[in-house]
Amino acid sequence: MKRFLILTKAMTLMHLRNGYVLFWNFVFPVLLMLIYGVVMSQYMDYMTPGVIVLNALSFGLVSSSTMMLEMREKSVLRRLQATPLPAGQLIGSYLVVNVIIGVLQSTLIILAGVLLYDVPVTATSLLLAYPMILAGLLAFMALGGIISGMVTKSGTATAIGMTIYFLLMFISDLVFPLDMLPNWLRNIVPYLPAYPVVQLVRSSLLETALDPKWLMHLLLLGIYGISATFIAAKLFRWEPKA
Amino acid sequence: MSKPIIDARNLIAAYGSMQALKDVSLTVEKGEIFGLLGPNGAGKTTLLACVEGLHKPSQGSVHIGGINVQVDSTATKRQLGIQLQRTALMDDLTVAELVEVYAALYEVYLTSGQINKLLARFDLVEKRNTLARRLSGGQQQRLALAVAIANDPQIVLLDEPTSALDPHARRAVWDIVRQLHNEGRTIVLTTHAMEEAEALCGRIAIIDRGQIVASDTPSALIANLQLSSMLKATVELPLEQVRSLPSVNNARYTGQHLEMETAKPEVTLTALHELAARSGSSIRDVMLRQPNLEDVFLKLTGHALSESN
Repeated sequence: MKRFLILTKAMTLMHLRNGYVLFWNFVFPVLLMLIYGVVMSQYMDYMTPGVIVLNALSFGLVSSSTMMLEMREKSVLRRLQATPLPAGQLIGSYLVVNVIIGVLQSTLIILAGVLLYDVPVTATSLLLAYPMILAGLLAFMALGGIISGMVTKSGTATAIGMTIYFLLMFISDLVFPLDMLPNWLRNIVPYLPAYPVVQLVRSSLLETALDPKWLMHLLLLGIYGISATFIAAKLFRWEPKA
Repeated sequence: MSKPIIDARNLIAAYGSMQALKDVSLTVEKGEIFGLLGPNGAGKTTLLACVEGLHKPSQGSVHIGGINVQVDSTATKRQLGIQLQRTALMDDLTVAELVEVYAALYEVYLTSGQINKLLARFDLVEKRNTLARRLSGGQQQRLALAVAIANDPQIVLLDEPTSALDPHARRAVWDIVRQLHNEGRTIVLTTHAMEEAEALCGRIAIIDRGQIVASDTPSALIANLQLSSMLKATVELPLEQVRSLPSVNNARYTGQHLEMETAKPEVTLTALHELAARSGSSIRDVMLRQPNLEDVFLKLTGHALSESN
């Protein structure tokens, strides 16, 4: 346990000292809230959960997967593999660090929403929303794990992650309501990974209630999360090259 | 003789279609500095990776302190201190944090005082709160060595510990390696620099194209081949004419320098002067030297140590 804690502390420090990680995960989300606040100030209740999920999405698909890839590219993973540390502890520690960063990021966005735009948030709604955010983060990170397992360069992972992220961002009811989409797309979107997360987070955060289809959403998210975890584990590599 | 501390037998390893190790066997005795000498791509790193438990050989076995690496790699990894060819540390951590975390990975928990003591040996105390990525090349290499022994291992495996260093930093690393050896640790290092192998290693295995071509003490390797002296001169003359000079066994150009293997240097030198005078060339920088590991390598493999495999 002591080993796990020291490793987790080290990995947290390592990420928090990385300017890239700090900007994209903590500065950028707040900037985004400010920009949306200027252009669509009356919709900030609707937007805040959307911004939380879109950042969780970029975190899982881009940040988290590139952080892992950079460790692999720089042979840090190989160096760790040379120690008696069990692989499970490494992955566990990495997950904890990522969850810490992801949850911090969401907290900053909620704070910005409450302080700047009076988004109606209560203690109970937060209690309900955080587990939903966490579920989303884990599923998105698992999907990011597939990307980092498939490619060798962090630049490629960023490109793939960004493409999927942008696509999902526009169509998943995050910042544009679903009724702006053409009919055919509207029927597909509910089965994509970001949509169920934002429904769960939005309803719990704003209405202190779960979306009527919560079970279906969670089930879908579970399928994505578990199958992605399974595939990511299969693709996981220690070495920089295939 | 006691049981070898590292016992690798009949290793065959491949990366895809490239065969990196072709039936390599090797034993390292407790307390020696053992060198793997060979050009880039010879298989040195792969051989170390098999010992470290990082690469699974397709055939053969490695035992460390009597434990089979493929059966219980956690137990064998615990006995090893490791420095990879690329420093490969988390470079957003400070020097002290890195030592602490790598010791902890072996379930060795160092106090701040112990970390300072370790860093002092590597002349890094003043850098203890500096991020690893802000260190110079030589400092990073010393840090990699400090991290390698943070778990106080009895066996230390160093992959090209001085490859990217300037001569001064290289000497500093040599001193550290000797210190570790004086503490009774067993050291295996890879190098493609023959002067490093000669300066540090009690025994050497010469490795080329995935095979060990010879293994012995440096002096025995040189003596066994009964090589002649090497006469070196800066001169431009046709090689075939040089080869036909008296007492010359072999001749080649390395850069502008003519190198001649000769049984009687004084006879060869006189003849060389005459040949140069006849063809109107001038001879500069004449040097006579004893044969070294580079010559051994050339003799055994037919190509120079500096050429990649």
